[in-house]
Amino acid sequence: MKVFKLPDLGEGLQEAEIAVWQVAEGDSVAVDQALLSVETAKALVEIPSPQAGRINRIFGRPGDVLQLGDPLVEFAAEESSEDSGTVVGRVESSAAVTRELPTVVQRGNPSGAKATPAVRALARQMDVDLAVVTPSGPSDTITARDVERVARIFRELGPLEVLRGVRRTMARSMAQAHSQVAPATINDDASVGRWWPEQRDLMQRLIRAIVAGCRAEPALNAWFDDHAPGRRMLKSIHLGIAVDRPDGLFVPVLRDIDSRTPADLKAGLERLRRDVEARVIPPSELRGYTFTLSNFGTFGGRYANPIVQPPTVAILGAGRIRDVVLPVDGVPAVRPVLPLSLTVDHRAVTGGEAARFIAAVIADLEE
Amino acid sequence: MSAITLVEAVNQALAFELDADPSVLVLGEDVGANGGVFRATSGLLQRYGKARVVDTPLAECLIAGMSVGLAAQGMKPVAEFQFMGFMYSAIDQVVNHASRLRYRTRGRLSCPLVLRAPFGAGIHAPEHHSESAEALFAHIPGLRVVVPSSPARAYGLLLAAIRDPDPVIFLEPTRLYRLGKEEVPNNGKALALDSCFVLRDGSDVTLVTWGAAVRETLATAERLSTEGVQAEVIDVATLAPLDMETILDSVEKTGRCVIVHEAAKNCGVGAEIAARLADDGLLRLLAPVRRVTGYDTILPPARLESLFLPQPERICAAVHELLEAA
Repeated sequence: MKVFKLPDLGEGLQEAEIAVWQVAEGDSVAVDQALLSVETAKALVEIPSPQAGRINRIFGRPGDVLQLGDPLVEFAAEESSEDSGTVVGRVESSAAVTRELPTVVQRGNPSGAKATPAVRALARQMDVDLAVVTPSGPSDTITARDVERVARIFRELGPLEVLRGVRRTMARSMAQAHSQVAPATINDDASVGRWWPEQRDLMQRLIRAIVAGCRAEPALNAWFDDHAPGRRMLKSIHLGIAVDRPDGLFVPVLRDIDSRTPADLKAGLERLRRDVEARVIPPSELRGYTFTLSNFGTFGGRYANPIVQPPTVAILGAGRIRDVVLPVDGVPAVRPVLPLSLTVDHRAVTGGEAARFIAAVIADLEE
Repeated sequence: MSAITLVEAVNQALAFELDADPSVLVLGEDVGANGGVFRATSGLLQRYGKARVVDTPLAECLIAGMSVGLAAQGMKPVAEFQFMGFMYSAIDQVVNHASRLRYRTRGRLSCPLVLRAPFGAGIHAPEHHSESAEALFAHIPGLRVVVPSSPARAYGLLLAAIRDPDPVIFLEPTRLYRLGKEEVPNNGKALALDSCFVLRDGSDVTLVTWGAAVRETLATAERLSTEGVQAEVIDVATLAPLDMETILDSVEKTGRCVIVHEAAKNCGVGAEIAARLADDGLLRLLAPVRRVTGYDTILPPARLESLFLPQPERICAAVHELLEAA
């Protein structure tokens, strides 16, 4: 509650006569809005409101003579105004209720390396990531010498080549294969003297042999689902052919190898090879294979542990054909043999299935 | 249980302890009939009488001196100073007597008093009503300096301060007296002195603050979280002795620290915290320690007050600077 009293109107005037009220009890007024007019000895003067608010009560009627300091109006108490006491300043109020929840603080996850600011600056300058530096200072502190040592190693190694494109994909998919697959590899030789070296189209024979292997053991032409876990036995055989290129490993797909004629397959292979050379192979042609062939023997090598790429469950590797001495009808004879390496995902394929598959492949290759 | 303001929480704690402990008494200018300049002692005279709620003359040195005498003789005086700026005339009693009574008498006497004062700016009052001189008292061995920043902490820490066997300077942020409410059970449970309060968990930067600046600091943390920056917010609460363990643990995790206080920067409590971070946390720091504080001037008139006080913009800018550093 605040009462507004007749203020000093200046010029030594001590009293005034109310001329007319311009507001009534219950009115809301703004700051500086005229409340009333008073007649002084000199003039008719309007008295403005010193504050905004609702007028509770008016003192005096027109004609009444007021002395300086007599009450004029009483303002209603502001709804939110509570007695904050203070004689100076203004303590702001708010009725907003806060609720502090107990804070669970994560601990024991330090912000990385321990190093002085100078060492951190040195590391930044020498482009050394402190996370890879082994500390040698007291209580595992990285010293300037540690940073210099790592910088020297980096200098000798040369700049890091960030993998891109096909090589980057290879890195990812191989890591994925390594983390998921339970590989088992069988090695054996196929004696190919019946057709080698007269008939030199090794790819054609390998494709034919894989079809024969898959017919004997369909479990190797399947996709394995890691999550279920489960497997899908596939009807068609789509052969992924590992192709080595300077920019990385490509696996273009030769589709439906089980139902195409040798001439058709030959044309298909030719087209794939040309497309890979020209780098025009569409991504769709690099997906959806059901079995993989790696004919690394064209470059060298005998046996390998080829890597099965999920979701497929098997890969056949063919090494370089070489002449060996074999017992033929009890007599040593020189014959060409093709070394084979079959890796299966042992989560999906049994050892027996793998062995029968490679036996079927060899039987076909030896025809 | 209804929610109460910080000043009501102070009143609730005083009443609880007046009820619980007959050696507790309240004294100060206008604390009785008037209920205190900010109404912190409202109603206490009526409930506990003139012997336990004492209106004193306008003489701060006397208030402090009487409190030392009462405390030395086994009472637990809780004295109110109307504004922190008025404590300066009581400094001799506080430093020369209260803080060292136990030491000087080889433990024969102790000085279990609490000197309460509203402190800090932001209420548009003249400058000597807006002091943040906590560092003056934090510098004195033998004194505890406690600053609550919420109704619950005002209640729990004031109870702890009254029950503590040694002198406590209890500074209440005036700006927060009536700014918001909190449910505070009147169960007489004291909070731990000499311990920080972690108000927010974060991994990127530690914001260390106390008093009314806790409000702007928490607002800054909210703003930073919309930018994907997670700030840990620590209310120091007890400025002396400092709980550096909590602060160091946090900075070890975040590697960055911004200290926010309203008081002038030069020789403020923030400088002490920064120095101790340099002593024991340097090897974990990814960036320099920054302080966002009032300026090294007398507090400006009301119109410029908000420029003096640390605002979220300034705190944010300091955090961004540290994030760019590393």
